[in-house]
Amino acid sequence: MLLNFDRLGWWKYILLTITLLTAAFLLLPIVFIAALSFGSSQWLIFPPPGWTFQWYSELFADPRWLESAWTSFKIAVIVTILSVLLGLVTSFGLVRGSFLFRDALKALFLTPMILPVVVLAVALYAFFLRIGLGGTLVGFVISHLVLALPFSILSISSALEGFDKSIEDAAVLCGASPLEAKIRVTLPAISHGLFSAAVFSFLTSWDEVVVAIFMSSPTLQTLPVKVWATLRQDLTPVVAAASTLLILLTIILMALVAVVRKVLKQ
Amino acid sequence: MSTYSDASGAIAPLPKVRRATGFGGVLPALAFVTIFFIAPVAVLLLRSVLEPVPGFGNYAQLIGSATYLKIFANTFIVSGLVTVISLLIGFPVAWALAIMPRRLTSVIFAILLLSMWTNLLARTYAWMVLLQRTGLINKMLIGMGLIDKPLALVNNLTGVTIGMTYIMLPFIILPLYGVIRKIDPSTLQAAALCGANRWQCLTRVLLPLAMPGMAAGALMVFVMSLGYFVTPSLLGGTANMMLAELIAQFVQSLVNWGMGGAAALVLLVVTLSLYAVQLRFVGNQNPGGR
Repeated sequence: MLLNFDRLGWWKYILLTITLLTAAFLLLPIVFIAALSFGSSQWLIFPPPGWTFQWYSELFADPRWLESAWTSFKIAVIVTILSVLLGLVTSFGLVRGSFLFRDALKALFLTPMILPVVVLAVALYAFFLRIGLGGTLVGFVISHLVLALPFSILSISSALEGFDKSIEDAAVLCGASPLEAKIRVTLPAISHGLFSAAVFSFLTSWDEVVVAIFMSSPTLQTLPVKVWATLRQDLTPVVAAASTLLILLTIILMALVAVVRKVLKQ
Repeated sequence: MSTYSDASGAIAPLPKVRRATGFGGVLPALAFVTIFFIAPVAVLLLRSVLEPVPGFGNYAQLIGSATYLKIFANTFIVSGLVTVISLLIGFPVAWALAIMPRRLTSVIFAILLLSMWTNLLARTYAWMVLLQRTGLINKMLIGMGLIDKPLALVNNLTGVTIGMTYIMLPFIILPLYGVIRKIDPSTLQAAALCGANRWQCLTRVLLPLAMPGMAAGALMVFVMSLGYFVTPSLLGGTANMMLAELIAQFVQSLVNWGMGGAAALVLLVVTLSLYAVQLRFVGNQNPGGR
């Protein structure tokens, strides 16, 4: 009876209240920031005395904001491409291969997911200082790739595990070369895995702050680092505008994922 | 499994000496991870026993100083609080999600995922504004007549706890939801038939059945909280540092690689050993493995 919603009696209302309050709690900051970004008060008073686009025009008028957004985007795109390619090759090896320590190796590839990011950030910072990659685009890409690759390997491996290899073998028997069979039969079949790998990699890089704080230089910083640096000085509503745009991008990506999942299922 | 028969015909028994196949595919990733992950972390940890002089001086200093001990205490207290509060809120929500009508659950799930995917800095910024003295939360509390003077909700451990709980909630709700969904409702019917009242059903059937999931989820939240950097440094004050910030400070402002490495090793050892414990939990709860 405790697992039947209609037979819970008045407990139902307690559960419902807690759930709705929690949902409101989770939604509050997101809605709040979006509202504030249009508020006319510089002191972030809520409800604001009036509504304005001032913070957005300030955001778009400042070349440093645009530049950091462009840097973030560039890095995220390169990381996404590398992460999917490397994840694909690695997943083929992990899923189809048979060699010593295969499972241990897979666990090793996934470790960056569970390690405290600050440890990785500090370690890479020291390493890049020494080899001169600190504050460079290559440094950013490498460090973000370390964090994105596990997600890529995880999504592509699980898609590949769910694919029956005999279909690929059949294509080879029908005269396709092994590579051709992989490209024209296997890749389309695991495209949902490739797609999630790409989205996860992009978002991992795009939203990454901790490593980026250590990687950035005065001339090269990503959008989250710019937000971070601005926040350390004051709580200006321009950050609310930047945050709202970040949230908007998340919603668009989430909607895209939902749509693509539906299309791929059909 | 199928690779054996695929590679060497239909009836190959497990060969003692088998040819390594597919290793070439993992080589690029292995090289990458070795150079840019294992080696840097290993060097950092090594520096903790080599700099400034070889030995365990850095560790002695970490344990011997009241300042650092307070930072360890802060880290564990906040992480523990966040875990307990997330569990207290997360259990009823996961329970409700598992049994609520479909339409309602999909809305709540959308909110859960949205908050999980929303940029961490954006969410933390929101709490910085919401929790300040003149912020919405204080205004509402005063408006409701609960307090006369604004509470100090930010730049202290209260702020960190609120912000971190907010971030961790989805991470405990989602796994708990999975566990509760798998519980067979007939076990509860049986308990009711045997005369158990609602409360007994909850405490003696539902909670124990959900326990492995709760333990695994709680451990995950605790471990994640221990290593968090962004939220504690923005919502906590300078007086209430946590472990991740300490590591960053040793390295960035003090340029003390020895101490930075030592603090990193402490965090790493605690994290990895708790993960090992969690693997056992998940293993027991789900023998099929995930």
